[in-house]
Amino acid sequence: MDASIIIQMVLASFGAAVIYTIIGIAPGTDETAVLAPVTLALVLLGTSPYVVLAFFMSAIVAKKLTDSIPVAIAGIPGGVMAAPMVEHAMVLKEHGLPDVSIRKMSSGSVIGTIVAIPASLLVASLILPVADKISAHAGLIFFLGAIFLALMTKNKLLSLSIIVPFALLIQGLRHLYWGLEIIPPTQTVFVSFFLGITIGPIIFKLFGLMDKEYRNEQPGLGKKEITMKKSKPIRGFPNPFKILTRKEVGSATLGSILGSITFFLSPVGMTVFLGEFLTRHIKDPIKRASRAISTMDALTNASYISGTLVPLIAIGLPLSPMAIGPASALFNAPPVFTPEHNIHHILSTSEIMIASIIGAAVALLVTYYVTIKYASEISTFVFKRIPHEALIGLFTGLVVMLAYMDAGLINIFGVMIVALVSGLLHRHGVNYGVMFMVLYAAPWLLGLFS
Amino acid sequence: MEEEKNEGYVDIWGDNVDLKDLVIAMAISVVFTLGGFLIAPGGDPQPLIFGLSGGIIGFLISVFIIKPKRILTQEEGEEE
Repeated sequence: MDASIIIQMVLASFGAAVIYTIIGIAPGTDETAVLAPVTLALVLLGTSPYVVLAFFMSAIVAKKLTDSIPVAIAGIPGGVMAAPMVEHAMVLKEHGLPDVSIRKMSSGSVIGTIVAIPASLLVASLILPVADKISAHAGLIFFLGAIFLALMTKNKLLSLSIIVPFALLIQGLRHLYWGLEIIPPTQTVFVSFFLGITIGPIIFKLFGLMDKEYRNEQPGLGKKEITMKKSKPIRGFPNPFKILTRKEVGSATLGSILGSITFFLSPVGMTVFLGEFLTRHIKDPIKRASRAISTMDALTNASYISGTLVPLIAIGLPLSPMAIGPASALFNAPPVFTPEHNIHHILSTSEIMIASIIGAAVALLVTYYVTIKYASEISTFVFKRIPHEALIGLFTGLVVMLAYMDAGLINIFGVMIVALVSGLLHRHGVNYGVMFMVLYAAPWLLGLFS
Repeated sequence: MEEEKNEGYVDIWGDNVDLKDLVIAMAISVVFTLGGFLIAPGGDPQPLIFGLSGGIIGFLISVFIIKPKRILTQEEGEEE
């Protein structure tokens, strides 16, 4: 690693921070959809692995910082991982405090980043001796994760009983596509099913509205009235430790550590569970919401980073939901990277750490500043100018395109059925985390029946 | 703000939408993203880049032709 590589890493990180600050603000941009293809393109272009890693780390940190903005102002997750925070951000939004929730969330993100990098190194060194055993039992681990998350939801019985049927739906569609020779047996549909689960609640509601009787039963609503309180501008460079209360810093740090340890579980599921668990006792709705979102944002950020770094340092196989999705190009991008020859094998642990720290630091400096300083201006602009319809439309468009990319026209209908089922389950208290875990565990789980 | 009467909007995903506008926005987005993906002349990752650009174009058109269903009022006050 010489000076010119370091300069390249800084420049790539800066570029990533700028691009993903903008992409993060655009709601509905799924992490896998916006990160994986760009990283893949960089790898295939022959970019140095150091630069790719710094770019990726900067991108996830920047994206994570800004995806809190649409959550706070529109209640739309700026990414899949932001989905669990919607409920709490809505509480603050209803009290006219969307800019507070942006500040709390992005400060949570900063804590998550700072805690997760060293925590990942620690976790990676702990699991290094058993890395081989872990990679041999990935399916089982995801299945146990699904059971664990099911036991944490409101509707435990339903969550547990849908594990096998939902796996059947996923694998059934995959085998249908293989059987019809729509995709080769070496290829597995993943991203679009993932998005189908995410978009489930919207699709379910829209299909319901096709029924005229149900439509007429809906209370006709007027325009949404939003009151924004003017907040004091923050002078100088924002300090996350001042924006958050001491208790918020405490639970954000605890959440980040837990998020780093549970890197192999679905970040969304863990965020829902731990975020609720750590804030359940608080009575005041505003305090509770603000504690919840800062903790959850720290936790998602930490599980993002550890989900990428721990498998990268310790195993070299994409053995976390994060690694199998957004970060997949770091593990497998043939012909440049293969499971036997990727960043894990090319870079030493300290080189992985240096590239990650450069990426994360650049993103924090650029994006955190912009987010905090202009949160209020950005909120006002989006409220006045960006119709909710356009956001839902954009998200739908992306899902349809990625469905087509994965397995052609038929998969648009395949994703529709996945979305309908997930929407129904979601409405009845099965959280996203359980469904994501089942999505990962499905091939192994149904293999047990053969 | 044109009229005060109830406009019959529906709450989808936490905000009020007009169903007709929503259908228009979804149609525009799907046509532009999928269209961009399909007309890309080269191989990977070109279709994806064209598709994403199409998505952005479709989004901008929707923003331009559809009005947000929100009434925004600014209030002076201290931050908690």
